[in-house]
Amino acid sequence: MSVASVSYLARRAAQKERVRILYRRALKDTLNWAVHRHLFNPDADALREKFEANRNVDDIETIDRMIAAGEATYNKWQHPDPYIVPWAPGGSMVCRNPTPPEGIEIIYDYGREDTA
Amino acid sequence: MASVLRSSILRHTRVPISTTLTLNESKLIAVRSMSSYGDVHLDKQEVIGRVLDVVKSFPKVDPSKVTPDVHFQKDLGLDSLDNVEIVMALEDEFKLEIPDKEADKIDSCHLAVEYIDNHPMAG
Repeated sequence: MSVASVSYLARRAAQKERVRILYRRALKDTLNWAVHRHLFNPDADALREKFEANRNVDDIETIDRMIAAGEATYNKWQHPDPYIVPWAPGGSMVCRNPTPPEGIEIIYDYGREDTA
Repeated sequence: MASVLRSSILRHTRVPISTTLTLNESKLIAVRSMSSYGDVHLDKQEVIGRVLDVVKSFPKVDPSKVTPDVHFQKDLGLDSLDNVEIVMALEDEFKLEIPDKEADKIDSCHLAVEYIDNHPMAG
């Protein structure tokens, strides 16, 4: 397994990307569950410890299994009402105030009648 | 009688839609944008300042090494997981929602500033 072939490196790189995306989603989920920062910070540290504990695993099959297990745990723990930024799809302000068509303006003259 | 008077007054004071008001020969632009989508774009210097502040306040980072060209993993010696944490902190700072694939590619201060600068909703 020490042959650094292109397919092996490509597979490792894909695994690393999966791990990063999984960590990102798990961190956001932790923030959804623990809304206040003083509760979120210890939980985020615990999550980081879980990832750090498996840092030096080298066997590619074990890594695949661990990533699958991690993703299963993430899917189980997903928050039912996650915080989504208002303008993003799924947020609260989507399509609320669409941009008006071009060329339409409101002249704010406040009822002034002495326009020269 | 009152309605005739009113309509004659209105006929004199009706402002056509295309002109703007002029007050003392200076153009008074009395038009307000009605959309809630980011019409206010951030100044690039402000973006750089805020991004650097976020990176400097990261506990594993030495603040004196942070410059606008710094690469998170090569120059600051951070981890890929630390990279993820920094991108999340930037999302919090600018009230953005960055898709996962894009967030994975943000690797350095330069890329972060460029992404935020080109994002229409950066707050």
